Amino acid sequence: MSEALIVARGLEKRFGPVQALRALDLEVRAGSTLAVIGPNGAGKSTLLRLLSGLTRPSGGVLRVGRNRGDRRSRRGQVGLIAHATFLYPALTARENLILAARLYGVANPSERTNALLEEQELTGVAERRAGGFSRGMAQRLSIARGLVHDPEIVLLDEPFSGLDPRAASRLAERVGALRTARRTVVLVTHDLARAAELADETLLLVRGESVALPSQAGRDAAALERHYREAVE
Amino acid sequence: MNVFLAVLWKDLLTEWRSRDRLVAMGLFAVLVVIVLYFAAPPGIGSEARAHVPGLLWVAYVFASVLGLNRAFALELENEALSGLALTPADRGWIFLGKAAASLLLLLIVQAAAAVVFALTFDVAIAPVALPFAAVAFLGALGLCSVGTLFAAIAVRTTFREVMLPLLLLPLMVPVILGSVRATNALLLDGALPGSALRLLLVTDAVFLIVSFISFEYVLDD
Amino acid sequence: MPLASPPDDRATPTLQRASALALGVCAITYGFLVVTAPVDSVQGVIQKILYLHVPCAMAAYLGFLLTAIGGGLYLWKGDERFDRFAASAAEVGVFFCALVLLTGPIWGKSTWGDWWSWDLRLTLTLLLFLVYLSYLLLRSFTEGSERTARFAAVYGIAGVAVIPLNYLAIDLAGGRSIHPENLGGGSLGAGMMLPFAAGIVTAIVAFSHLLLGRIDIAKLRAQLAQREAEQDLGRGGSSPWHT
Repeated sequence: MSEALIVARGLEKRFGPVQALRALDLEVRAGSTLAVIGPNGAGKSTLLRLLSGLTRPSGGVLRVGRNRGDRRSRRGQVGLIAHATFLYPALTARENLILAARLYGVANPSERTNALLEEQELTGVAERRAGGFSRGMAQRLSIARGLVHDPEIVLLDEPFSGLDPRAASRLAERVGALRTARRTVVLVTHDLARAAELADETLLLVRGESVALPSQAGRDAAALERHYREAVE
Repeated sequence: MNVFLAVLWKDLLTEWRSRDRLVAMGLFAVLVVIVLYFAAPPGIGSEARAHVPGLLWVAYVFASVLGLNRAFALELENEALSGLALTPADRGWIFLGKAAASLLLLLIVQAAAAVVFALTFDVAIAPVALPFAAVAFLGALGLCSVGTLFAAIAVRTTFREVMLPLLLLPLMVPVILGSVRATNALLLDGALPGSALRLLLVTDAVFLIVSFISFEYVLDD
Repeated sequence: MPLASPPDDRATPTLQRASALALGVCAITYGFLVVTAPVDSVQGVIQKILYLHVPCAMAAYLGFLLTAIGGGLYLWKGDERFDRFAASAAEVGVFFCALVLLTGPIWGKSTWGDWWSWDLRLTLTLLLFLVYLSYLLLRSFTEGSERTARFAAVYGIAGVAVIPLNYLAIDLAGGRSIHPENLGGGSLGAGMMLPFAAGIVTAIVAFSHLLLGRIDIAKLRAQLAQREAEQDLGRGGSSPWHT
């Protein structure tokens, strides 16, 4: 049984009068993939922002990664691939990646950048400014950026939205590759079929609280959908 | 340290590609100098003359506010600022990188405006160019240090452009006072007053330390 | 979305009543002492406004110090009660600061004939007032109470750090000319110490009383916001915050 790489106990996040997350308990084992599903406003993105170290919890305990330490060590072990691409439009693809590599203290920024560009099939447009990229290209670049430091934990926030089928299946392959590489993945998605396909465990969030799902429901898309509808209505 | 250089490089590279910040700041500073000339024509008397160097600093302050606002407006696209915030390094280095970039741009603008100022107001800066540059540097450092901190704050409020000067100016008295005093003494007496320099150095140090440490909290979401 | 119940930091009614009582007692004692204090031979009756001016100044600076400390504690602990404390201290403090800036010139005009002189302490207090205002403006123009709390805390710390710097700056500019010298230095005539002391005590009690009241209001506002959010959700609205 591998260790739990993400542990949350009573995790809370308040924004003024609104409680985005309430008393969340969570455990994600190293090397496993967790799908987080739920309606809009459920707190899914908030959860990722907490896990990535962008935001501080309002209450509860959160341990992410191998050190018991502070948010900074958390940020070093986590790669976040969110809605926003974090890309600078005025910089080229290569420059964006080199910047990210240096922000994460990667040993050989240019080497790593070349490898990532190749992996994401962006070598041809490496010297083009990111501002001119299509949605698909920008997303591939933002994935490369999120993985620049080869993080142990990868967080993806609704990466499938807005992608054409080809790009979507390429992305699904990519997530699968992360699993093969024994990375710990937390995937927020509205696509229940993908969740069932890619995840080992599923977390259903409704209005900031986790709703219990029967253990095997996560692997069956139809069952997942049924439970989802029940919980939301 | 690497993060500091990376952010500095990024800002300067971006600026080099468009040069819009530099041109806007430079043009603005020069315009302010010229407008002030018409607003306060010299030659009224020696007492009025003594206030002239302060006018140059008015131009510097306005130009710096313009540049600082722009520095963070660029970070809002694609939530790039959050991307920076994800760095495992101390976020203070991000602050330093951005402050240094703004500082470099401001120094260039200061030089250009000083030339126009010297010509317009008929003030001899050239003989004291080096000490003047030192004072300009210390003043600019004071402006860009907390200026960068507050710009990062202001850019995420609802009244963005107006918020930065409102936050910055009440704290700029030591910087402006010290810089203007030193510039005055330099241009009128040719000597650099130690007390003004000390004030600037202490102020810069305090501002840099406070900004470096607080930046961690400003970049949170 | 389930609603947070804000931690209870309301002053109990007993505490509020005690505070009001203390304020009443202090104010009466203070008023009595001021009225019966000897009239200054040189400055006349108007000198008595100093009994108001000086304590208010202390309250104003204390207020900003508390604002900065509250902000610092909020950044450290993340507890919004500290932020409520800081915001309330700022609102009470700015009021006292305004009083200082009103009473100072009144005294100045009657004593040396000028409504305003750029002397050290008065200028310092004017700058403090401006920082107070900017602090409050920042709070109202930032959206999201968590972000507001963070930004305000940072600004409060910067604002308090600049006070000694301002002192040095104004001193450098020669602003030490005409402010009356320090009280402790024996320049007080007989019978003046008591009203001053009473004034300081009253100012502190008044400050605390207003602070408690202000924190109360902040707490009630938070509860009201909660109720409104509740109604929004009841009508099927989605969270205005992040997904």
